Amino acid sequence: MPEARYFDIRHVTGEVTHVDLDNTVVESAGTSFYDRAVIRALGPDGWGILTVDHFRRPSGKKFEELIEEALSLASLTRQKVTLSEVTGGALPVPSMTEDPRSVPIGEKKDLLAGIEKAARVPGIVSTRAGYIERYEDVRFEDSSGNEYAYATCRSGFSVMAVAGRNGDMQMGYEREHSLRGLNLRHRQDLGREAGERALSLLDARAAKGGTMHAVLDPELAGVFAHEAVGHAGEGDLVLEGGSVLAGKIGEGIGSPLLTIVDDPSLPEFGFEPVDAEGSRVGRTEIIRKGVVNAYLHSRETLAAIGHGKAGNARAMPGEPPLVRMSNTYIENGDSSLDEILAECRSGILLKGSRGGQVDPGRGVFQFNAEYGYLIGDGELGSMVRDVSLSGEILQTLHSITLCAGDRAMHQGYCGKGGQSVPVSDGAPHMLLKNAVVGGSGTG
Amino acid sequence: MRWWAAVELVERILQEGARLADEVEVYLSSGSSIAARLQRREIHYAAGSRHQGLSIRVIHKGCIGASGTQNPDQWRECLGAAVAGAKLATSQPWNGLPDPADLDQVPLNFDPDLRPEPESTRELLLGMIEGTAAYPVEITSGSAEISVYSEILANSHGLNYTSRGSNVSAAIETIREQSTGYEFDNSWKSDLDPLMIGEKAAELASTSTGGKEIATGEYNVVLSPLAFSQLLGAVFIPALSGRNVHAGRSRLANLLGQQVTDPGLSILDDPFHQRGLSATRWDAEGTTTDVLPYVKEGVLQMFAYDIKNGSRYGKKSTGSAVRAGPGGAPSIGTHNIRLEGPRTDVLEERAIFIHDVVGAHTANPLTGDFSVELSNASVFEGGVREYPIRKAMLSGNVFSMLEEIGGLSRQERVIGSFILPDIRLKNQRIIGNE
Repeated sequence: MPEARYFDIRHVTGEVTHVDLDNTVVESAGTSFYDRAVIRALGPDGWGILTVDHFRRPSGKKFEELIEEALSLASLTRQKVTLSEVTGGALPVPSMTEDPRSVPIGEKKDLLAGIEKAARVPGIVSTRAGYIERYEDVRFEDSSGNEYAYATCRSGFSVMAVAGRNGDMQMGYEREHSLRGLNLRHRQDLGREAGERALSLLDARAAKGGTMHAVLDPELAGVFAHEAVGHAGEGDLVLEGGSVLAGKIGEGIGSPLLTIVDDPSLPEFGFEPVDAEGSRVGRTEIIRKGVVNAYLHSRETLAAIGHGKAGNARAMPGEPPLVRMSNTYIENGDSSLDEILAECRSGILLKGSRGGQVDPGRGVFQFNAEYGYLIGDGELGSMVRDVSLSGEILQTLHSITLCAGDRAMHQGYCGKGGQSVPVSDGAPHMLLKNAVVGGSGTG
Repeated sequence: MRWWAAVELVERILQEGARLADEVEVYLSSGSSIAARLQRREIHYAAGSRHQGLSIRVIHKGCIGASGTQNPDQWRECLGAAVAGAKLATSQPWNGLPDPADLDQVPLNFDPDLRPEPESTRELLLGMIEGTAAYPVEITSGSAEISVYSEILANSHGLNYTSRGSNVSAAIETIREQSTGYEFDNSWKSDLDPLMIGEKAAELASTSTGGKEIATGEYNVVLSPLAFSQLLGAVFIPALSGRNVHAGRSRLANLLGQQVTDPGLSILDDPFHQRGLSATRWDAEGTTTDVLPYVKEGVLQMFAYDIKNGSRYGKKSTGSAVRAGPGGAPSIGTHNIRLEGPRTDVLEERAIFIHDVVGAHTANPLTGDFSVELSNASVFEGGVREYPIRKAMLSGNVFSMLEEIGGLSRQERVIGSFILPDIRLKNQRIIGNE
């Protein structure tokens, strides 16, 4: 059997702790464990990959056999893979204000119960609150002698309130996750907001769909950056011919106001000290002043198509690395929200996010706001519910005419290829002219 | 882990667990898979996987705790975590884990001829590539995977069921100009037709090019099984969960015995369906399964319960537990959802056919309101495609869209835990760009 041109091993062990409160009852709480490794070997042509649960790194002859087992799978491929040379080196994991693992789970349960209780304002018929804490101990080594070891602990909570009246039901939802330590203390305000929003939505009308000017709040505009641009900027999709941004380097595709960045080195929820194949992480401007500037890359996609730098290979424990976003955001502009509303004049303000999706090959995206407000004469009017927005990447970015200076980041999880990784998205308020807004309202 | 070692481990955990709690449940699984992935027309990588999982649940004085691990050697820590979890949980009424039943243990979804071998995945990929040649498209990516697994479910009442399963899946994505086409299939037996999957993906991309704009308005639409399964899964199925019903989170909560869909429509969970990927004679807790007629001729008949929620709300478990909770713990789910209703040529009369939707997961799970972008949508008349639609949204409500249907197609396909036909729906709101 030929020798491996390269191999790496990424072994992740850890614990997941959760608390699930349902209408003040502790529905479940506790800790589970995981232990998975991925061994990748590059044969004469392409990759052979082995995933093993309950991994114990062998040494000597047994180690060689392990690499050979991965390599034997590579015999199936005829695709000549080249890896770009990269700089290694891991950043320190940002410090935590309070290590969640040092707080007893009973205390976490009590803190979460306080948040859930705050959501139970009069008129709320159902509440649910969840806490999740994920500790990961990562060990990486490759055939070039690079070795990294680090641990992260991500934790956070969500709270949902359901308001009911005469058979009608509406939902308010808040969540916050962090890499920087336990965030459960003194957060009853978010519970209360979930409850009060659910009540307000009982009086909100369904949005009427159509083409109109839309103002996106920082959370939704962050999802816009992620769905409308970030995915299409992923080097593997570009390489496969599955992205509308393929071949567009240097081309203006949006307003000069628009700079969209991905940066795994930011101490936000999508932080990585080093990427999943040992590359140093850093800032990539996917769009710079409206012009396509770079793609996000693994070592392989960088070698294949260039334009950018490696450092965006990420993986769930036990899964092979994929090119992924991390902390994605639109840079601040110099307008204010008042100026944006005045410029919009008539349209809709969209707030919060229920997620989104993109078809990067077709260049079409969709995402959903949790609620919104009609805008008339530059002033906020009545509340609307269940409103979504769809658009085409290559047209929509030209329609961003104003960006405020109030960027904020929000945390979430992004799915791709069956893997879910922690990310953050952010943006300032921005004005999107002639947006296609979806809603089931007719009046 | 060898079979005898697995059996011995399960026994040890049950014995040790019985000293710490009233009842103990152990689920031990192991398996292997081979997957291969296409990048354009070349195999990008092949991946092998060996996996194992242990999930332990204890019940003590009505308090339930669970934990899971991928390292069965760690079973003592896992058992300790389950016991600690139970100490935190609120005590609930609990009817007890099931006693053993005399069930046939011949697996319902295991094909001994399906083996996770690299060459088999290669053949699937090559077959799909060949299939795409029927239309002038480029391949962007594809994948094929074959897996086998075995599992043991045992509890301190003497229940000890074993099962095996197999699965094969294949998927391919194509593009022509700026139109994409994605097709996939999976099965528990070796009956996939990769040529057909490839051809369908290519047809979707190819026939979606040159799309026309459409005016905003009300249209009759036909949802493919893929599009329909996403909207059902995001809204209607969670509303059938007894937990959501009693916790005040289901729009169906007070509608038992009432008309909730078109009187021609029935919705049922059939755990014995021959093609179902989740076919089983017992659920994740060992409760004997049965066909569950949730909606019969439009009338809501029942909700889904596991033991915990059945005990809590004075109901029996409906055998609806699946392993979807934290640490692999059981929670309420479904096995093989299928529909019964009037079968017609759904595209004979003019309609917009919607193959896929973008963003179904953003639907409001409580109210059922949704707005999604269409993928591979075309106007059909007399069963023939008139023209593709370039871009439009479908906005509506999952509950009200089922109140008046225009029929179901005769053909069905398996999509995860659904076995669905095309469904024709009347007067749905389309937001176009014309």
